[in-house]
Amino acid sequence: MGSISEFFQHLMNGLTLGGIYALIALGYTMVYGILKFINFAHGDILMVGSYIGLFTFNAIRGQQMGIWTIVAFFIAMIAGMLFSAVLGVLIERIAYKPLRRATRLAPLLSAIGVSFILSNTAAWAWGTKSRKLDYPFDNTPFTIGGVAITPHQILILVVVIIMMVSLKLFVDRSRIGKAMRATSLDQDTAKLMGIKADQIIAITFAIGSALAATAGFLIALEIKVYPSMGMMTGLKAFVAAVVGGIGNISGAMLGGILLGLLETFGVALLGIPYGMRDTIAFVALIIILLIKPEGLLGKVEKEKV
Amino acid sequence: MKKILVVLMIVAVMSGITLFANGQDEAVSEVKVGFIGPMTGDYGNYGDLISKGVLLAMDEKNAAGGIAGKVNIELVIEDSEGDPQKGLAGIEKLSSSDKIVALTGPVFTGVSFAVGERVQVEGIMMVTPSGTHKDITNIGDYVFRTVASDGLQGEVSGRYFHEVLGIDELGVLYVKNDYSQGLFEGTSESFEAAGGTVTIAETAQAGDKDFKTQLTKIKAAGPDAVYIPNYTAEMAQILEQASQLGLDIPFISGDGFSNPEIYQLAGDYTDGVIYVGPTQVSETDDYKDFVAAYTEKWGFAPDSFATNAYDAANILFAAMEKVYNETGKFDRTDIRDAFAATKDYSGVTGTINFAENGDLVAYQGVYKVNGTTPEYIGTYTVVDGELVEVTL
Repeated sequence: MGSISEFFQHLMNGLTLGGIYALIALGYTMVYGILKFINFAHGDILMVGSYIGLFTFNAIRGQQMGIWTIVAFFIAMIAGMLFSAVLGVLIERIAYKPLRRATRLAPLLSAIGVSFILSNTAAWAWGTKSRKLDYPFDNTPFTIGGVAITPHQILILVVVIIMMVSLKLFVDRSRIGKAMRATSLDQDTAKLMGIKADQIIAITFAIGSALAATAGFLIALEIKVYPSMGMMTGLKAFVAAVVGGIGNISGAMLGGILLGLLETFGVALLGIPYGMRDTIAFVALIIILLIKPEGLLGKVEKEKV
Repeated sequence: MKKILVVLMIVAVMSGITLFANGQDEAVSEVKVGFIGPMTGDYGNYGDLISKGVLLAMDEKNAAGGIAGKVNIELVIEDSEGDPQKGLAGIEKLSSSDKIVALTGPVFTGVSFAVGERVQVEGIMMVTPSGTHKDITNIGDYVFRTVASDGLQGEVSGRYFHEVLGIDELGVLYVKNDYSQGLFEGTSESFEAAGGTVTIAETAQAGDKDFKTQLTKIKAAGPDAVYIPNYTAEMAQILEQASQLGLDIPFISGDGFSNPEIYQLAGDYTDGVIYVGPTQVSETDDYKDFVAAYTEKWGFAPDSFATNAYDAANILFAAMEKVYNETGKFDRTDIRDAFAATKDYSGVTGTINFAENGDLVAYQGVYKVNGTTPEYIGTYTVVDGELVEVTL
């Protein structure tokens, strides 16, 4: 580790990465909170959303880079979010809902199946080659005290913060958010209180999937778009959700940021070989499961009778 | 829905039968040659361009009546995706089921190692137009190449970087695969022998997209230049992210940079990159004809590996023709012997000879990218540990 500026450079890189993990982890944690089930197709919904965003952006952005390309970028992001939201709800209806009363393993296996179907269909339909998402604006970095910051990183952080704050407000303050929390606490009682649980579950899937699409579209700027892009990112976001305390929205945010920083500094500061980088997340998962299985912010749940 | 499926399946089976029947008609006099390369995925562009060099040579030969004017050549292509395991599955199929007489490819170094061991045991000759690791041809006498060994590339690169470019401290970011690691080792060895120091060597995994951690470390180490001997998908990411981190020092690379796809993937970030790669082919009429024919047939220009592949295929067909004329059949060992005996073959890349170990007798070219156009700087080789500029 050389200088202070190198430290802050790694910090910036880690925060951007962590913000993305957090955004994806939210989807896992929301679904788990309500259905007690891990949606393993979440990463692939992210991938489909990124493709849709990419296609939309390419179709409408025109040639010249300017204000319009920035507008087009956000339109494309919203298109990807909407498509993913609909896809997430459809998947829930077709592959998970019929299994809601089956053994807990059944929807999990169904989710893994959906994951393969989505990624293989994407590979078949769109090819396996990475596609470049063109920049919506000039990405020349500016330097503050030796730390290079790109407009993309700022874009990513700003969008991530907006999404997280509005989700937190939505869940804590709105009526639907209240219904979500009630459904999560006890589905049957919630139904007795007049909450349409199926509708709430659908909304949860829609929001989670839209957030995944946002994350996918944002990382597409950095890592391009390809059919297996959701795989590792999705898995790590899942780890982030567990580390933070699965089912807990603030926990997912904290877990995501922590994981991003851990991966960056683990390699840069602790001298973990780069080839082992992907294992950091999973070692963290095992440690947290051994020491604090409910996660950093998770509450110990009493067994319901 | 089920009915539609059944109908579709019947149609599929029927069309399969028709195709097969057609194949049988033509197969009266036919000989099969194999090709292994990445045809899909992030590395698909390498396989696409290179296989089309072989296909062009085959089509031209077949249009002229085939081998000895009567035997049609068929090329069986197996997709490796750049993965040695998939390459092994490919050679297994080509060898036992397709009964190929010789193999063109594999495209990648790692796959060439795996497949090379197999063809050596099976007694099928292979000629890679692009597998550059210096040890590939040491596998055995059935392994050839029509591309310069990176033993030479490493020797020229290291000395050129230090002696001509004046780089004293070199940073390296290479991917842990046989190709990149081979170039890293060869180049850093000769770079240090010439008097320079490799101050930081960072690694990445194949398929990685995020190189910011390594680049940040390299930036902090402050070398004079960064050597990135990787494939285009990774180099594009590295160049782009280096710019995002404000890493404003020269980037230098190897022959992987000669695939023109880099300019689509990385765009302007390629400006100023210097790379050591294949020598520039002198603009002979043969070469111009080849480029014109290739471009007309496929709609894009060949890269240097595709040009190597075209020569490899033509030398192979000549060897097969010689064997067929002499024996009336295609014996795998005879073809290998005839191929090895090639002398002063006049190909589109120039005059081709093979060294004792199956290596191409070759030189290295140095290029500097201006915007998105590589400009030729010169031709170099190493004689007795000294860097020598040669004129071809």
